[in-house]
Amino acid sequence: MSNAKKRILLVEDEQPLCLLYEEELSKEGYDVTAVTDADTALEALDRGPFDLIVTDIRMPGKDGIELITHVMGRRRDIPIIINSAYQSYKEDFMTWAADAYVVKSSSLDELKAKIRQLLER
Amino acid sequence: MIEKIDFKSFEIERDAPKELMLLSIISQSFFQPFSLEDNLLVALTALTSGSGVGFNRAMLFLKEGDRLKGEMWLGPGSAEEAGDIWEILATPGIGYIEIIEHNRTLVRRNEDTLSRRVRDLVYAADAENVLIPALASRLKNILLVRNASEEPLVDRRFLDIIQVDEFLCIPLIARDEVLGEIVLDNAITRTPISRGDIKLAGLCGLIAGNYIYSATLHRKLLEMEKTSAMGQMAMFVTHQIRNPIVAIGGFADQLLQPGLAEDKRDRNIRIIREEIHRLEHIIFQMGHFLKVSLKEPIFFDPATVIAAVLESPEIQAKRPAYDLRVDIEDGLPLLYCDPTSFGEVLRNLLDNAFDATPTGGRISVRGYRKAGDRYVLSVRDTGKGITNPDKAQLFKPFFTTKEKGMGLGLPFIKRVMDTCGGKIEVRSRVASGALFKLSFRCRDKE
Repeated sequence: MSNAKKRILLVEDEQPLCLLYEEELSKEGYDVTAVTDADTALEALDRGPFDLIVTDIRMPGKDGIELITHVMGRRRDIPIIINSAYQSYKEDFMTWAADAYVVKSSSLDELKAKIRQLLER
Repeated sequence: MIEKIDFKSFEIERDAPKELMLLSIISQSFFQPFSLEDNLLVALTALTSGSGVGFNRAMLFLKEGDRLKGEMWLGPGSAEEAGDIWEILATPGIGYIEIIEHNRTLVRRNEDTLSRRVRDLVYAADAENVLIPALASRLKNILLVRNASEEPLVDRRFLDIIQVDEFLCIPLIARDEVLGEIVLDNAITRTPISRGDIKLAGLCGLIAGNYIYSATLHRKLLEMEKTSAMGQMAMFVTHQIRNPIVAIGGFADQLLQPGLAEDKRDRNIRIIREEIHRLEHIIFQMGHFLKVSLKEPIFFDPATVIAAVLESPEIQAKRPAYDLRVDIEDGLPLLYCDPTSFGEVLRNLLDNAFDATPTGGRISVRGYRKAGDRYVLSVRDTGKGITNPDKAQLFKPFFTTKEKGMGLGLPFIKRVMDTCGGKIEVRSRVASGALFKLSFRCRDKE
């Protein structure tokens, strides 16, 4: 099992970004399921196990914080990374439930490093 | 039985008692969405016009911090000019607009003589030894000054400018706070100031003081709203701009990696181009919203502006996919708004209607006269409608239900309507479309 690809659920409402993250994380050797809203993410979670979730916060419909709340209700053991354009959400205690908070940047190094770190834990 | 009476329908007859006439002009003028300066100009006019209380000249001081500063001086420079002015102002049917226009010209003409001279007069309003005219403000009392040249409490510089022996100082007070002062005299006719005139002028002072108070408060409030909107904007812009930048950077990094397939290379370049286009759009929208001040409203003929918007390439491009109906009554009156802003308002409403409505849906533009001096322009769509919680937020900057919207269109419309004293009304139910009704002040073409 340890050689199996780690599965990442990626939630990002912006199409180009969703595509970029999907490609870049796949290149890192992960099995990436990319969705553009929280409801589809919850459906994906019902269908199969994931090793990690990367989610945006500001999204139409359910936002990232609501998604985290739902996920915590079902599976408390999946690490969650918030990947947001907003720095200010860090101050919102609701986001503290996540395992890491990454501010979106054109370099994906920080996001990749956080994913590695959490999956190795 | 219930009878509805419009505030603005009180046309006071010319032969009405002058007291009623004066209070009517002043209170109705303050009811209008004119600027503070214009409204004070109307008040000064009412105090000095032939049909008003009968003072010849009025000088206005306004309080700025702890100083009382000369602002405006209205009145004829000579007996000859007085005759001309009073004749114009006594013309039957003359309204506020004409009075303001007339007095703007007068103030401009007198810029070199009367008003400029009073602007040099600045007093430390609360100083113990302050002289007349500022003494009236410190005492918060009306002061009638006779034999001014023999009165040591009168400021000599002031006397040199005003050059009369009798004048009346009326502090403008609201909530026990002095906001300005009016000095009135009869330099041309030399008529003594009567008790009746003092009472009436004092009453005008009270109304004007309260008006300045509320107008200043309103200005401060708008400033505060602007500051808070700036904070929200900074946060919103961070998000709006960061996303395209991350995409551009990320896809550019991929381009720099060796061995990227040809089709991916093309795709990346296309995405980068689109994201740059999006950034340009964001910057355009922000610049538009941030325009510090809108142009002053005027009465203009809306027909050409409406036609220009409806026939614009952007609207024409969308038109075939929708059932766009335009029903505007013939003989459009003149509307009170800045024409450019008016066009942008209509354009914004149409854009929203198109965005909210699925293709094939109906969008109706209607224009009709309502209650004499109001004109309604409405845009109705058959789109997704607006939920009640969304309705409460519609006019807040950066609130949007559109995927790529900035949430700046409706706040802009509200700003325009506030500036021209218009109203905006929204009616909508989810899934049954929305109706936006704009109501403008209007008047007939001459």
